[in-house]
Amino acid sequence: MEDIFFFDANARVGFDNHRRGASAAELLADMDYYGIEKALVRSRCTGCSGAVIGNEQITKVISADNTGRLTGVWCVLPSQCDDMPEPDDFFAAMKKNNISAITFEPFEHRYVPCRLTMGKIFGAAIERKVPVLLNAFEGKWDELYRFMAEFPELTCIFSAGHKWGTDRNVRPLLENYPNCRVELAGYWIPEGIADLAKIYGADRLLYGSSFPKYNHGNGMFQLKHSTLSDQEIALIAGKNLENLLKGAEL
Amino acid sequence: MSSIWKESGTLAARFWEKGILEDCPVYDMHGHMGPHDSIYFKRCSAEDMVAHLRRIGVRRFVFSHDQALAGLMRNEQVVEICKQFPDILRMYISVNPHFSENIKEDLAKYDQWKPYVAGLKFLADYHEVPVTDKAYEYAWKFADERGIPVLNHTWGTSPYNGGKVMYEAISRYPNAKTFLGHCIFGEWDYAAKCVNDFDNVYLELTAVPGERNRIEKLLEATSSKKILLGTDLPWFDEYQAVGGVLSAKISDEEKRDILYRNAQEIFGDDK
Repeated sequence: MEDIFFFDANARVGFDNHRRGASAAELLADMDYYGIEKALVRSRCTGCSGAVIGNEQITKVISADNTGRLTGVWCVLPSQCDDMPEPDDFFAAMKKNNISAITFEPFEHRYVPCRLTMGKIFGAAIERKVPVLLNAFEGKWDELYRFMAEFPELTCIFSAGHKWGTDRNVRPLLENYPNCRVELAGYWIPEGIADLAKIYGADRLLYGSSFPKYNHGNGMFQLKHSTLSDQEIALIAGKNLENLLKGAEL
Repeated sequence: MSSIWKESGTLAARFWEKGILEDCPVYDMHGHMGPHDSIYFKRCSAEDMVAHLRRIGVRRFVFSHDQALAGLMRNEQVVEICKQFPDILRMYISVNPHFSENIKEDLAKYDQWKPYVAGLKFLADYHEVPVTDKAYEYAWKFADERGIPVLNHTWGTSPYNGGKVMYEAISRYPNAKTFLGHCIFGEWDYAAKCVNDFDNVYLELTAVPGERNRIEKLLEATSSKKILLGTDLPWFDEYQAVGGVLSAKISDEEKRDILYRNAQEIFGDDK
């Protein structure tokens, strides 16, 4: 059987203040169990402990990962306060620490997700094609639509993220914002992955697990038997994310 | 790299490779059909759904039509849909407590509608009437006297079909085969208690496969003999749900119990 290269676009490690979550060792064990080669990982504690602590935590995870299978994501904040470096310094630090993408948590960190707050860092991210993970907007379609209208050129990944069908919200975003991709954890629509690929292209879809909420296997199996070609499955499983991260000019 | 999908001879590896297994049919005990207000369905007709079901080897798909649950379609019309695909489609009689005159009329035809009818379906959360309400009494008694399945939509902490309400209903009607749809999602301990305290209660997995370690925990708390597969199709993909069972860290024998053996026992001669 030919291997499919799976690169998980949606995983979190660490624990929140309710001790909910999972360790990097647990993630790697599950990746072994299911056959996931690589994972893009965010910090679970970013929500309760803040971006700076969360970034420190994820940096430790990445530096301790001697398998090289984990790639980190850092969280950003509004540029007007001085808890984040200037964009050039920030991206240089990302590169140095094997951090490949950024995310933000406007609702947890209590600010408005818009150009006024995030224009500086996301303007730089657009220029450098640094992927921005929009998991914070999961289930907040109004807010996500407003945000995307302010940053239509952003290279970004949003989460389909709801078991009970999100096509009415997912499809307009794919149709209108060519630099956005959708990550498919929780997208359980019957044969829906093939439908999205046929309309918007397989290059717009990314496999993700939403670890530790979901396991990796159900989404892998759904994709494997999605009716798409081997080439399209390979893109969605991992190559799209790999290409997206390679395209970032840190 | 190695993985469960490559462990030679296992259900997971064989299903991964072929997508369908003759020696492991699938019985989907929680389905729907037809359009619904809150979601876009590309494939909600009998023809389209059966095509999807056949692809993975579903042997029986037991559903309640969403329009029948809404009271806009009579169960008799659903029987006619089943007759178009008699080798695969079976139905629950949709019970809407706001259409009480239909309940008695439809249940009177239960025997006439065999083998297509497999039980009753309650959707209490959506109808906003607790399953312990008098409006359900006739249907519960009917199922209790005959020992037939009642698939309940359940959800944790719901005042209509949450753990406490379901436990009370099961206590009143212990002979009915009560399927706890969605396993009282979130009230996992209550779900296990219902199964362990009564002989005729089953957990039905819709929306659960894929939740990390949840099937494993349900098995620890109950038994693989008390768990049924369901998908809510056309809401959820069959491969996602079956993949969730195949992905669980349980034995192949336990997976077979969930995917078809328990349902076959319930179906008896119609398996």
